[in-house]
Amino acid sequence: MFGTSTPRAMHRFRMALVTLGLLASALPAHAVPSFARQTGQDCVACHVGGFGPQLTPYGIKFKLGGYTDSDGKAGHIPLSAMLVQSYTQTSKDQSADPAKGFSKNDNLSLQEISMFVAGRFSDNIGAFVQVTHAEPDRKTTLDNADLRIVKNMQIADKDTVLGISINNNPTVQDAFNTVPAWRFPYMSSELAVGSAASPLIDGALAQQVIGVSAYGFYDNHWYAELGGYNSLSKRILDDINIAPGDKIKGTSPYWRLAYFEDQRKQAYSFGIFGMDAHLLPGWTPGQTDKYRDIGIDGSYQFLGTREHVFALNGSYINERRNLDASFGAGDAEKRHGSINRLDVSGSYHFDKTYGATLALFDIRGSRDNGLYNSGEQDVGSVKASPNTRGYTVQGDWTPFGKEDSWGNGWANLRLGLQYTGYTKFNGAKNNYDGFGRNASDNNTLFAFAWFAI
Amino acid sequence: MKNLKISALLAGWMLAALPTAHAAGDAVRGAKAFDEECAECHSLKEGKNKKGPSLNAILGRKSASIADFNYSDAMRAYNQAWTAQAIDAYIKAPKKAVPGGKMKYEGLADDGARQDIIAFLSSQH
Repeated sequence: MFGTSTPRAMHRFRMALVTLGLLASALPAHAVPSFARQTGQDCVACHVGGFGPQLTPYGIKFKLGGYTDSDGKAGHIPLSAMLVQSYTQTSKDQSADPAKGFSKNDNLSLQEISMFVAGRFSDNIGAFVQVTHAEPDRKTTLDNADLRIVKNMQIADKDTVLGISINNNPTVQDAFNTVPAWRFPYMSSELAVGSAASPLIDGALAQQVIGVSAYGFYDNHWYAELGGYNSLSKRILDDINIAPGDKIKGTSPYWRLAYFEDQRKQAYSFGIFGMDAHLLPGWTPGQTDKYRDIGIDGSYQFLGTREHVFALNGSYINERRNLDASFGAGDAEKRHGSINRLDVSGSYHFDKTYGATLALFDIRGSRDNGLYNSGEQDVGSVKASPNTRGYTVQGDWTPFGKEDSWGNGWANLRLGLQYTGYTKFNGAKNNYDGFGRNASDNNTLFAFAWFAI
Repeated sequence: MKNLKISALLAGWMLAALPTAHAAGDAVRGAKAFDEECAECHSLKEGKNKKGPSLNAILGRKSASIADFNYSDAMRAYNQAWTAQAIDAYIKAPKKAVPGGKMKYEGLADDGARQDIIAFLSSQH
């Protein structure tokens, strides 16, 4: 029954890949010089290595403050732009072109051009809204969006920020580089093969939803947030060029609790986050697929004089699912299942200019022929498993963004070389798709030039 | 004995009043402490203001005196010269020294580190 995919299952599978592609395109952000112009700060004040989106403690507080902090002067225009040119090479050609107009391997791509409305509108309102044109997708979409309303106050003689975030991607509102929307790699290929699955909170709902959450940041230490997400209507999704995934039935609750300690020479955080979602596959009324995602995360930064900066980020997400709808429709082999994802990364930056990062990822989940054994080359799993693990290593150079830099506050650039290696892909090291493709065939060399003004 | 006390008090008063009263601090250590604690928001270049005003030639400068920097009302009302003593009190507990000020800094409790920073700042002009 489940040995070969039904068209619907294949559609769902492709949707997962599309979603992963969207996630990749959604990742790069917060490298916007309009924030620097607004605050008078250098890029390096907010960003480890002088380029977004890896945040320093100062950057974390700026974001939680609703992007409203400024140098007090009028006339700042909250607009920025970004351009990414990239080159992707996989160890072995893919079986089909990864996107229209591209080859099975060795692809040069104008990966994305983005415009940002990013900055403050008043003492209490700030925004970060990104519109992106991606060459691989050949369309312009509403990318990450986060509108904030904040109020600074004293509670029990402690600095407190109370805020509301209206956003379109669970965890995009978070200020830590441990959660799915903002973890390393901050830029990755959209033309490489993606793994079969990841927890729902790991980007599957990105740009397809609208969420409202209320948060508090107390005494510069305690962060708490509670909110909910709904699917955008098909009409709006069509208007913003986002392909509809599954529809959220009702409202999906989202929650977050974290502790943060900024000692200026070093900083650390730890926390938990989670989301429940009841989805209607293909927007079909009736039974739902239910997901419960819970994550733990932690980070540490050694900042010192900022000449040598070390950072560690880690998260572990557990998802339990009850696929009443997909099981009933024959798209899932089993009603119940789970998937877990572990991500750990460590980075070192010298002189706010030269960076090296190593990340490890490990995805493990229940086998399910309906979900994972699509029978497709490159992306299918003959073992019906999403289990994927590997590493990403990156070296980068960010020549600007410092006090003495050319164009400081107006322009920045990061050149990076990244390599992702897989030791297991969709359940196996060798012949994972049943067509002879090995995990290491998907090893990807990715070079990028990332400009921001 | 009485004369000795008067002399010590007089010397203490003169030391506090001098802009370069930094004998207790180490400027080399102060440079490191400045990078750790202050440099994110303050430049040492003349005329270069970040989130905070330039600290070039800060010793002896009148508070809130950089024309194109947007000071808080509290800092404008503070109206003192930045002596070593005043800087020490301010970076030890900014909200206590200048209630209502907008500097987002919780303070540096380490007495020696503050003296080092002041010694370093005194060399920046």
